Amino acid sequence: MSSARVRRAVVFVALCLVGVTTVYPLIFMALNSMRTSQAYEVSPYGLPTRYSLDNFRALFNQVPFLSSLLHSVIVVVPAVVLATLFSALAAFVFTKVPIRLGNVLFWVMLTIMFMPGIVVLIPLYVEIAHLGLATNFTPAILVYTAINIPYGTYLLRSIFRGIPDAVIDAARVDGAGWLKIFARVVLPMGRAGVMTVGILTFLNIWNELFISVVLLHTSSTQMMTPTLAQLSGRYSNNIPVIMTGLLLGSIPTLLVYFVTARVFIRGMLSGAIR
Amino acid sequence: MRERKAARFRWNLFPYLAVLPAAALVIILMVLPIGETIYRSFTNWDGLTSNLIGLENFRLIFQNPVIIQVFVNSAIFLISVPLILAASVVVAVLVYERVLGWRVFRFLFFIPAVLSPVIVGALFSTFFLPSGLVDKALSPVGLSSYPWLSHPWTARAVVILALVWTSFGFGMVVVLSAMSTIDPALYDAAAIDGASWWRRLWSITVPMISGSLQFLSVINVIYTFTSLFSFVYVITAGGPGFATTTVDYFTYITSFENGQFGYGAALAVLLFLVVLVLTIVQVKLFPRREVQGS
Repeated sequence: MSSARVRRAVVFVALCLVGVTTVYPLIFMALNSMRTSQAYEVSPYGLPTRYSLDNFRALFNQVPFLSSLLHSVIVVVPAVVLATLFSALAAFVFTKVPIRLGNVLFWVMLTIMFMPGIVVLIPLYVEIAHLGLATNFTPAILVYTAINIPYGTYLLRSIFRGIPDAVIDAARVDGAGWLKIFARVVLPMGRAGVMTVGILTFLNIWNELFISVVLLHTSSTQMMTPTLAQLSGRYSNNIPVIMTGLLLGSIPTLLVYFVTARVFIRGMLSGAIR
Repeated sequence: MRERKAARFRWNLFPYLAVLPAAALVIILMVLPIGETIYRSFTNWDGLTSNLIGLENFRLIFQNPVIIQVFVNSAIFLISVPLILAASVVVAVLVYERVLGWRVFRFLFFIPAVLSPVIVGALFSTFFLPSGLVDKALSPVGLSSYPWLSHPWTARAVVILALVWTSFGFGMVVVLSAMSTIDPALYDAAAIDGASWWRRLWSITVPMISGSLQFLSVINVIYTFTSLFSFVYVITAGGPGFATTTVDYFTYITSFENGQFGYGAALAVLLFLVVLVLTIVQVKLFPRREVQGS
């Protein structure tokens, strides 16, 4: 065997090893979700000797799992749509339409991008409590939207910069207004980038714990991540139930990733993430 | 003439309307709260009453040994940043070799990045429980049950491991994206000149992606200081003692569990200053050898 082939074989084996570390935890969750806690104590590996859905039953009966899922959907879907749309509009103007204070605004966003979330959450939490909105989803939706706008605008700005000005000028000569240029030229041409930013925003918001713990801390509004975070403490002596919760909790983002992977990975590789 | 002016006015109004939602949300829900947090950091605000007390909060912060430790902890977690960068580059370089199934590997390596830190944290804490997965795997080697999460350094190591595992996929994609802009002819030329694989990595790949490495370094340092909350909350709850309590976690406890919003605001301001300084240092000092293509 030539040395090049040996090297390729070594690379392949190394990739397999890394792949095991990223896939095995999913398999671990799946297998142990169907094991009893006694069977887990004996061995957490291998196929279960007896398949059982008791963990799923326990989870749905004792933990507000489905309601948390619903709350997350109620908050995350509008926040993702609004954040992506508003970012796209702002990024379009910043790249293609010179306006007064445009640069200032962009630099404000760039600076704020690096702001620790807690800096804004302390006053927002108190303000929202004073307004009696602690059990209302709207403030959380707006806060998630606002916090994701700077990064979204930053990413989409670099994507829209790739659209030649000549295309925009041609559309203007044809008499198209800015709105039409945005909807019919810029969005379709930057579609992969916009989708990538939308998916990244979804992952950010859906997976986030801090804001959801702070803003929606009552049980009637609790989102998915706080519910998952409480599992470890509540079922410390019943790992299979925790694994069942983590497995079900992983499904929404994994599903979105699996379904969109082609566009998403291509979008990220074409520079939509920095 | 007047008609043209009206048309131009309509023409010019759209950009302002388009920027308005983003600008309004960012100003109302971010810029103004930042201002309020800075103001409140000089008060003893408890959510209801608020009196200006000058620099008292900051004096208390610097006198509190726990807070010093908390900042040191966050600094210790910075160990994860070079590890994440190294793992990202290594994995990206391996994927770039385009061996059998490289697209599948690239797909699989991003899986940890789409899982919530809460899920990653809970998984790792489960793996490292006494007589958990790791203990069972190590028992044939003769190591018996070890309380990983009860000793400061092993608990920190678990958090760092979880961080690296969940972060290298994103880093890999950023590095691959940068590598795709490198002209393959450069590698061919180097290969003809007899440059070894390592030499090509250090003399071509790394310099050509230094901009991306800087970006990854900056965002991971920020992440370490501001977003370890979820990992710590789930894996160790800050323990043992305060060994894994990070600045953002401590600020959370101070503000939202103890209701000391003025004191918490001072901590948050301090955290922001630290992040700002670290970011500026990295932007200034990072070796920028990137060859600008265009």
